Amino acid sequence: MPGISMSDMSMPDMSTSGAPDAPVTGAQGRVPQFLVECPFSHALADDPIVFPDRPGASHMHVFFGNDSTDAASTLRSLEAGSSDCDQRLDRASYWAPALYDGETMLTPSKSVAYYRPGQGIDPTTVQPYPPGLKMIAGDAGAEGVQSTAVVAWTCGTGIARDSLPPTCPTHRPLRMLVTFPDCWDGTNLDSVDHHSHVAYSSGGTCPSSHPVPVPQLQFSVVYAFSGDPSGLRLASGPITTGHADFFNAWEPAKLRSEIDACIHRAVICGVTSGRK
Amino acid sequence: MSRFVRYVVAGALALTAVGCSSDNGAGPVTTTATTKATTPSSVPASIGSNGTNTTEAPATVQPSDPTAPSAPASGGAVINVPADQPTIQKAVDAAAPGDLILIQPGTYKEAVNVETNDLTIRGIDRNTTILDGGFALDNGIRVVGANGVAIENLTARNFTKNGFFWTGVTGYRGSYLTAFRNGDYGIYAFLSYKGQLDHSYGGGSPDAGFYIGGCYPCDAVVDHVISEHNGLGYSGTNSGGDLYILNSTFRFNRAGVVPNSGSYELCYPERSTTIIGNTVYSNNQPDTPAIDVALLAMGNGILSAGGVGNDIERNLVYDHDKTGIGLVPYLEQDPNDDQPSSDSWNRPCADTVNDPLPDPASVPASVLWDSHQNVVKDNTLADNRIADIAVDSAGTDLATLGNSFCGNSFTTSAPLQLEALAPCDGAKPSATDWTAGVLNVVGWLGETHPPSQDYTTSSPEPPAQDNMPDAATAPAHPATDVPAAVDTDSITVPAKPGS
Repeated sequence: MPGISMSDMSMPDMSTSGAPDAPVTGAQGRVPQFLVECPFSHALADDPIVFPDRPGASHMHVFFGNDSTDAASTLRSLEAGSSDCDQRLDRASYWAPALYDGETMLTPSKSVAYYRPGQGIDPTTVQPYPPGLKMIAGDAGAEGVQSTAVVAWTCGTGIARDSLPPTCPTHRPLRMLVTFPDCWDGTNLDSVDHHSHVAYSSGGTCPSSHPVPVPQLQFSVVYAFSGDPSGLRLASGPITTGHADFFNAWEPAKLRSEIDACIHRAVICGVTSGRK
Repeated sequence: MSRFVRYVVAGALALTAVGCSSDNGAGPVTTTATTKATTPSSVPASIGSNGTNTTEAPATVQPSDPTAPSAPASGGAVINVPADQPTIQKAVDAAAPGDLILIQPGTYKEAVNVETNDLTIRGIDRNTTILDGGFALDNGIRVVGANGVAIENLTARNFTKNGFFWTGVTGYRGSYLTAFRNGDYGIYAFLSYKGQLDHSYGGGSPDAGFYIGGCYPCDAVVDHVISEHNGLGYSGTNSGGDLYILNSTFRFNRAGVVPNSGSYELCYPERSTTIIGNTVYSNNQPDTPAIDVALLAMGNGILSAGGVGNDIERNLVYDHDKTGIGLVPYLEQDPNDDQPSSDSWNRPCADTVNDPLPDPASVPASVLWDSHQNVVKDNTLADNRIADIAVDSAGTDLATLGNSFCGNSFTTSAPLQLEALAPCDGAKPSATDWTAGVLNVVGWLGETHPPSQDYTTSSPEPPAQDNMPDAATAPAHPATDVPAAVDTDSITVPAKPGS
């Protein structure tokens, strides 16, 4: 495991790994996918990727998926943990900076993880994440708005992706949507900057430095928040500092079967909607 | 993880075009039969074993026996579970198209993926051959892009997602199935064509006991099913076209039969669903699990939420807090698309799925999907406490929606004199005041309802359900001849249960 220096307290510039092509939006059903919906699990000022074994060293995060995640989490500890997601065999951990309205932390209502082939990627070439893969998407140190292809805000599952939170109606509350890299270098589970072992595809191709297509994880944090967004900020800083983290601890055979059945066969294995 | 759990690890698989696409020849082949099928001339054609429509007369299968083979059974092998293979998944993985997988009574802690065409998967005893998800596994049996798979005479319970689920297929059948206490749907067909769900039971799901969504023309039949203690008895988003819901019972749900439109999924709008001969009662149930839409629709028997051209006839509908049969709008806030113009409502899903994505800037902040051109005819309604029959919008002139009501046995309507305002078959209205006694559906948005209950604990065990005939000896019967032809003209209003 690479050592972490204090300089990593702010995320590196996203230019090291590029940005994805604009994702396919619109009604679900156009792009093969499988989904995992998770209730909010817990909040801690921990980050097992950026600050391993240093409880309380991070800004406040909201965690989903594996119920045991904390600063000391390892692949082995996550494998021993459990999940309250609708896919219990997904013991991965997902987290994002806590969202505040003024001084009040907003408890998310749930998360939705969409696993899809990257845009233009041949679905039959997509490989499972290796156990223990760690990824961060988005820039916790961003000083301006980020590309909506990486970090976007939406109302419900609506088509419009904004770089800043929109004013959402009550029935379609606010979501933060973070798109993860979909190409892996084939070797490293992490990297010193936590970014450079993975990359985004472009034009349907993974870069030669990162030749292994993996599912493109689009991670959506759903808040029971609607109305005036002007008081919103993230634990990592201004509202523009959106990001999310993924620590893979899927039951390996289940992850492979979901990729085989849904992505390789190009089938919609689930949808989420404004119904719920 | 249970030792019974095994997952498919498929080898290199050819990319299979699925969903609404028909570019592999597997998509819908019925392209024009969108008229309301109340005559034998427009019932679904029989289907040849190659999955294409034949030109012969419809198969002579009675609606009361839709599982009877109407085509020669294939000569596939019989794989017994557990004698030949220890688990259902291993049997499925070992099977070739045309094979029959025959499962002995027992509790199987598996989530089964099916990726092989034309299998028949059957339990020996519907009530004791049980797939149990233990609130940990996702779907009882999920058929992923495999055509012609029939599932018969089994129970699936306690799954976090669905009991039985077909997605992206052409040809599916579920007969004598019991699905209860599952986290999304009981029995679920999505982006799938040429299907039949019959003699089955769906209970205790927060979404719908039965769902057929995202297909047009669907060419599918739901016949002789029971759906109770769900959020919704039946739901079908953006489905229709040769889609029949017949001879079934929807009771004790939050809401009964609720087709709807919305741009959150493909193939909008919902249109041309034929709902005939069903018994729909007491859908006010306060103690079920329920998604938001089910709460919003609570207390209604048959509710078209933005549906177009549905045919609702000869149903028995009683004991609802709101409407017996209601035609209302679905207000979609922050939609993915504007609604299509009326001249494109009949475009096949296979075409619309390839439409370019809309420019987000052109999508309105909300879309009001009104219910248009529905026919509510010859139903028997009683004790629906806001109105037996109703139509409403949220601002649209109701006289322009083109819905019609006639021949119903009813007491109350909203607006008043609805059959005089909106008669059938182009008859001249004998009343013109659409403002008296309106439904005020907008007011439903502000109501509160008993909250959703935990699906893992709130659902009662269903009583023992009928077994399919001759489960142990009947030959393989893959879903290559579905749906069975239906004679909707012969269906009469059901008698009241217990009467």
